[in-house]
Amino acid sequence: MHPIFRDPAYNRYLKRFIPASVIYAMAIVLASVMIPDKASASPMTIGIALLPGLACTIMIWAMARLLVEMEDEYLRLIEIKKALIATGFALAIAATWGLLELYTDVPKLPVFLMFPIWCGGLAVGQLWLKVKSA
Amino acid sequence: MKNRLKVLRAERDWSQQDLAERLAVSRQSVNAIETGKYDPSLPLAFRIADVFDKRIEDIFVRD
Repeated sequence: MHPIFRDPAYNRYLKRFIPASVIYAMAIVLASVMIPDKASASPMTIGIALLPGLACTIMIWAMARLLVEMEDEYLRLIEIKKALIATGFALAIAATWGLLELYTDVPKLPVFLMFPIWCGGLAVGQLWLKVKSA
Repeated sequence: MKNRLKVLRAERDWSQQDLAERLAVSRQSVNAIETGKYDPSLPLAFRIADVFDKRIEDIFVRD
């Protein structure tokens, strides 16, 4: 078992993150069912479309609280390094793809993908730190 | 920063896990400190000193 799972902060993280991810999934389904394609912006469509974003924000807050509340300082440092690598990874993709979009006719990268890309960056960070410490 | 954790541990016949439990940190943390990959914060350094009943400067040495 990874030592982070034994940190009491991780239990608190799960109690925050799991409900938020369930709300996110439900909100995505709700928005897909309730809002027709190419619907114009109205208070109702905006309200429904904001729900998944709100759930996403809670997930990001839960991840931030994990970093703040972790008691093992070395494991916290590892997680912070991973988050920094993920941030660099996501920013590099956003900047590079954005310039490609500006100068060529590549498909547009939906902005809502930035959070999943950042999460993918955590895996890159994990791999990088593993290779570096080997 | 160099340290004498491994020697002090060996003198007491403690494993890294034993020391980790006494310090309330992970075994990975003890390993990282012992191998010089990570320098502990001052509060953790004081806890380490307390566990070995020594002064910080008796355990950690400048490079």
